[in-house]
This record gives sequence, C-alpha cells and structure tokens, in this order.
Amino acid sequence: MFRDTTFNDVSRLDVLDDARADFVMDEEAFRAFYDRTARGVWAYLARVTGDRQLADDLLQETFYRFLRAAGTYESETHRRNSLYRIATNLARDARRRSLIRAAFSLAGDEIERAPSFDHAGATERNADFTRAMSRLKPRDRAMLWLAYAEGASHSEIADVLGLRPGSLKPMLSRARRRLAELLGGAPERNRS
Amino acid sequence: MRPVECEFEAEVLAAVLQSRWPERVDASLRAHVAGCAICSDVAAIAGAVDEAREETRAQATIPDSGRVWWVAQMRARREAAKAAGRPITGVQVIALACAMGLLGACFGATSTWFQSALGRMVSSVAGLDMKAWLPAVTALVAGHAALVAGMAAVILLVPAAVWLAVLRE
Repeated sequence: MFRDTTFNDVSRLDVLDDARADFVMDEEAFRAFYDRTARGVWAYLARVTGDRQLADDLLQETFYRFLRAAGTYESETHRRNSLYRIATNLARDARRRSLIRAAFSLAGDEIERAPSFDHAGATERNADFTRAMSRLKPRDRAMLWLAYAEGASHSEIADVLGLRPGSLKPMLSRARRRLAELLGGAPERNRS
Repeated sequence: MRPVECEFEAEVLAAVLQSRWPERVDASLRAHVAGCAICSDVAAIAGAVDEAREETRAQATIPDSGRVWWVAQMRARREAAKAAGRPITGVQVIALACAMGLLGACFGATSTWFQSALGRMVSSVAGLDMKAWLPAVTALVAGHAALVAGMAAVILLVPAAVWLAVLRE
C-alpha cells in the first residue's frame, strides 16, 4: 500500500538524490492531468469498491503507477483510459486480497470490507442508489459508472475493464436491467 | 434473441442528463420509452447515476497535486535506490554460500569422526534391498492413507499459510 512520506524521510533526500525517478510526465503536465482527472477517479474507486478510505489509498497508488508506467499515449482519452484501467486493476486486487483475508481469518477478527459508502449527507435518492449499487457485482458497478457517470463509450469501457467489445453490450444491458430493478424504476417484464 | 441496444438510447440519456425528461421531450420519444425495455432502463437509472456522480465528486477529499507529485518522487527514488542495492545483496548471498561451502569442505576433510560416520551411512544405504522394502512401504502407506493425506495437506498448506501471513504484513 502507498505509504506517506514522513518528515524523517526528508533528511534522507540527499542520499536518494542520486537515484533518478523516471516518470512519463513532467511535474507541470502531471499536475494539470491530476487536477482534471483525480476527482473522477476517486468517485469511480469509491463507487466500485464501496469504501471511501480504500478509495483514498487506491487513488494515490493509481497515479503513482500511472507515472511509473512507461506508456506513450496517442490522446488525452487514451491517457485517461489507461488511468482508469490501472484504477480498475487495483480495485480488483484489493477485493481479491480482502476475500483471501476473510477466507483465512480463523478468529473472524478481520472480515471483508463490505460496501460501506458513507450515507451521511447523501440525499435519500443517493442512499437508495448506493444500496442498489452495493448489491451489484463489482464489474457491473464499474461498467455502469463508466457508462453513465463518466460517459465512456462501449469500446472505452471494454478497454478499461479488459473485456471484449462484443461481449460488453449484453453485459451492460444485464447490469442496467438489474440496477433499474433494484432502484424500483423498471418492473420485471417478459421480453422477446 | 433479446435486444441489447436501441438507437434512441443516446437521445433518452441526453434528455435525462439535461433535465428535459420526461416533460420537455417529444411525445413520440415518451411513447417509444414506454414500450422499449432498453430505453426505460436508461431513463430509470441515468438520473440516479448522474445525481450520485455529483454528490460523490463533491464528497471527494483529493490530496493536492503538488503533494502527490512530491510523494511519488520520493517513493520512486526510494525504490530506485533499493533496486540499485539489490545486486550487492545478491553478491553478498553468493559470498556467504561460498564461505559456508568452504567451511564444510574443511570440516569434512579434517574431521575423522565425520569421515567414519559418512562411511557407515554410505555402506548401510548400499546394503539396502529396495525390492524387499517396496511392498512393506506400499502396505504402510495403504494402511495409513488418512495420515499420509493429512501430512501431504500440511506440507501443501503450511507454505500457503506462510505466504498469506507475509501478504497480510
């Protein structure tokens, strides 16, 4: 996990100065990109993991890995997709780790972090939405959030989630149906 | 086969996000949504997602970009320094292994007790009749299958438990 630098680390800066930090961006470009995207990435992580604290940690890790990745980007969209792909993988790994911990926790003192998005201050409709989202699979949450909150195209969603574009449409359709049912806005009906 | 997309989906989505749905849209679009499963789902969820998006983004406490950059620099330098030190560690391990090997060779060459013990061990192993032992070993394993399975499980599970403990750290 991303560890914050303490004041003691500052005294070691002289030693570390010899080691180079090769990033794909300079500071100015990074700061502009971060300011444009960080809030959206945090919201995505918070909604997919259902855990604000975890989203805080994963946000910093996401940007760090993005900086370290020796990627070349054709466009801003491509760069943004790569960022969300890193965030998705980190959220997936975090979930996997929490499941392993829960499975091997003999004393039961450490359980999987259930979706615990803070309802305080949220409107009633938003609270209903949070509850409905928590009942979906993480991948479905990610798909729906990317499609309807981030306005990503089908090919972008497939790219970010590592899915085949052809299989995305039916999956998104099923997830949308399930969320609509959970929100109570669309009754179950027979379809041709 | 169940349809998974509709040509009016984008239009419905735009209407919801621009707060035109349902009052300020064409009656024909409303009629379409009433009969289209895909568009009715879009109309049902799009507004809720958009509202949640606004609230979630407003709740986010994002660290300052300058601080994130600085922390990332520090971490990258630390990792680079660690990586640079790794070959030295490897050489040290090899040197230690060579020293241990040399020490063992000296001990083996000079200790008469060790040489005689080694000679006894070699002669007793050479004298074993494996064909005579094999049925007895097979019968022992078959008779204690549960014990053997338990031991095998322990041998497999202990490294996994150690790995998980390390992972938790």
